[in-house]
Amino acid sequence: MISHRQGNAQRIAALDERAEALHLKRGMGIADARAMHPSIDVLEADPEADRRLLESLADWCDRYTPLVALDAADGLFLDVTGCTHLFGGERSMLDDILSRFFHQGFDVRAGLAATPGAAWAAARFASDRIVPAGEEEALLAPLPLAALRIEPDVRASLESVGLRTAGAVMAAPRAPLARRFGASLLLRLDQALGRLDEAVSPRLPVAPLSVERHLSEPIMLTDDIERLVRLLATTLKADLERRGEGARRLALLLFRVDGAVSRIAVGTSRPLRAPLLIQRLFHERLAALEQDIDAGYGFDLVRLSVLSAAAFDMQQADLTGETNDDGADIALFADRIRARLGDSAVLKPVAVESHLPERAIAMLPFAEAPQRISPPKKPDKIQDTKPVFRPERPIRLFRSPEPIEVPATEMPEGPPMNFRWRRALYRVARAEGPERIAPEWWREAPGQEEAPTRDYFRIEDSDGRRYWLYRQGLYGASQAAPRWFMHGVFA
Amino acid sequence: MATSAVARETVFALRRQIAKIEGTLPERLEAPTGAASVDANVTPHNLTIIRRGLTVAPPDAFLCTGAEGLDTALSGGLPKAALSEIHGAATRDAGAVAGFALSLVSLILKQGPPLPVLWIGTAEIFREAGFPYARGLHALFGIEPEQLLFSEAPGLLDALWVAEEAARMTALAAVILEIRGSPQRLDLTATRRLHARAQNAGRPVFLLRQAGEPEPTAAPVRLILSAAPSASRQTIAGPLAGSIGRPAFTVSIGKSRTALPGQFTLEWNPHEHVFEERRGEEERAKNPVPVVSAPRRGKDPAPASGAVLAFPAVASPAPGDQPSPRKRATHRRPRRAG
Repeated sequence: MISHRQGNAQRIAALDERAEALHLKRGMGIADARAMHPSIDVLEADPEADRRLLESLADWCDRYTPLVALDAADGLFLDVTGCTHLFGGERSMLDDILSRFFHQGFDVRAGLAATPGAAWAAARFASDRIVPAGEEEALLAPLPLAALRIEPDVRASLESVGLRTAGAVMAAPRAPLARRFGASLLLRLDQALGRLDEAVSPRLPVAPLSVERHLSEPIMLTDDIERLVRLLATTLKADLERRGEGARRLALLLFRVDGAVSRIAVGTSRPLRAPLLIQRLFHERLAALEQDIDAGYGFDLVRLSVLSAAAFDMQQADLTGETNDDGADIALFADRIRARLGDSAVLKPVAVESHLPERAIAMLPFAEAPQRISPPKKPDKIQDTKPVFRPERPIRLFRSPEPIEVPATEMPEGPPMNFRWRRALYRVARAEGPERIAPEWWREAPGQEEAPTRDYFRIEDSDGRRYWLYRQGLYGASQAAPRWFMHGVFA
Repeated sequence: MATSAVARETVFALRRQIAKIEGTLPERLEAPTGAASVDANVTPHNLTIIRRGLTVAPPDAFLCTGAEGLDTALSGGLPKAALSEIHGAATRDAGAVAGFALSLVSLILKQGPPLPVLWIGTAEIFREAGFPYARGLHALFGIEPEQLLFSEAPGLLDALWVAEEAARMTALAAVILEIRGSPQRLDLTATRRLHARAQNAGRPVFLLRQAGEPEPTAAPVRLILSAAPSASRQTIAGPLAGSIGRPAFTVSIGKSRTALPGQFTLEWNPHEHVFEERRGEEERAKNPVPVVSAPRRGKDPAPASGAVLAFPAVASPAPGDQPSPRKRATHRRPRRAG
């Protein structure tokens, strides 16, 4: 028995057959129920877990149709338009769904109809019924008002005037109904009868292309999965070629025998359609997820979908049949690293116009960085139009400047004489600077306190190592003494 | 006399054969005097270099650093299609180690096509030693930001995997793998795999190890780097006192099949993108203002300084300054001295 808090009392939210046999009812107070039967087990309701379970069921239902939508807390809509012939007709599909759910241990009711409203009613009030198109009225007429998916207060007021079945409501004149009970009643009625369209919004976007394979013998080994990916990708290639596209995002769905679904996605930085390369990407992804994928009793349905595709540029091959494109090699290499180690595993620096050293280079993931079309020209001494003054910049920069202790400086505004960094003392042999870098006030939000100015020094210590330090703030500008930071290392 | 010449020739032929089997480079072996007339094909010009796997490499299989002393000691330079180790004694030497590796990359890019360079590091090393800064690399080594790719791996195994995948690619100009400390996973097998892939792809892989102990690895060359105090900036009126000039490195050869241990001080010229060997102090005092830059390749009036500096520590050890037995492990000694 499951309880939940409603109003100020614990009430029964759901109960099993044995509890029902004790004449307990939904909505009854827990205190009353315990008074009648002191030995009942009561569990707190967990709507989150219910939701997760329903979503995993929805994932599993993906095997029937890509259009699966959640309905409130306890239902699923499957839009099976055009899918039934794959399972041998409507009846056998419904039977298949019911028997598979039964074997997974679920008590499921299903209905199939031409409109979502009629199917909803059929599932709840006339289980396992297939309603042919046009017979919605006949189905609904004898059913109680609850079959119309209307608000409880509307239902109560309808019942108070004696309209107790859907048929009675349908027979009543429409205008007074709308005036008295609101437009939602007629909307629900029209939707159920197919006079108005009702859209079912699927949980996941429908993949433009997908291929799948049902397996009579479930597979468990990663090698088998990879081989199957290759076969599916070969099928997919023909479709992609027909559309002149290549895949940018691919998803592999593994349906386990007992209902769990694993979804594995990979991204590519260039449109891709070669089966071998697709297989390699999934090889890396599967290797990375080895711990997370539990094959259990095996997978009986494997589906490969293209989540997004882009135009595929054909390239002229040379006489040896190989395209001489280093960029493609690197893109594929980056994709494989990405598939195994995550999106930010390969980074590309992009120069940004900024005075602040840490902002002057943005590190972008490889797939997002602008692709270079032509290789950069070799520096030509005559056409070198770079500015004459090039400030010295370190070759390594710490992600966040590390605070250092500076006991004494030569002059108040000058470089330090020695400093302590990471608990080691360094003696400054030579110093150059300062180079003053002011904060970029145009980037700051109005009202935000201005960041202090930084004075950078190049320092060489007594062993010859070169560092980039800065002093944040000026002496005398505020009460607190300026702080020193280590920001980078020179060659 | 004639028999001894024949015997020497036989020894030389056998040596060549051994070298071929072992994958070392036969022309580094001393040719017997007088053998050239017997075997007319063996002249310094038409020698081919035999790599392991018995493929014939082009004669420019060596990356000439441009510093005469170091190049002579390494007999031609660093191998281009191989794994090379560059060590730093402590993490704080990361600047010098990275700087030296990048100057080698810069030399490679100057000679070859402008392919991208991949720098792989663990999250730990990038946190401890700083992330490579593309602005500085461009200013100092002329490597464009678009040519750089970085890969930050969460752990050592991931970094090694990325490096192995990258080492076999011919679409990269060079691969830099940066590791901190002496992890167990980076053993002889792991480095041998990297080395074999680098050889097959014909691209260099630089293994930078910060704060690592020299351990047996498959890399043919190991250089130990530390920063050297830089010279002052040169102005028209002489050196500018107190200024910090070009980057300078102290390079010692930790391991090489052909070279003896030696120590060299190199200066990187960021304008020309070449190495310059630092000349002795006395000569700088004699001629403080280089009116004309000293010839790098031509005949230098001064004797080569590399030979003088070859064994500063080993040649005359102070009585109380014996190297510990640990530091004299066999693998630190040269494998073969010609």
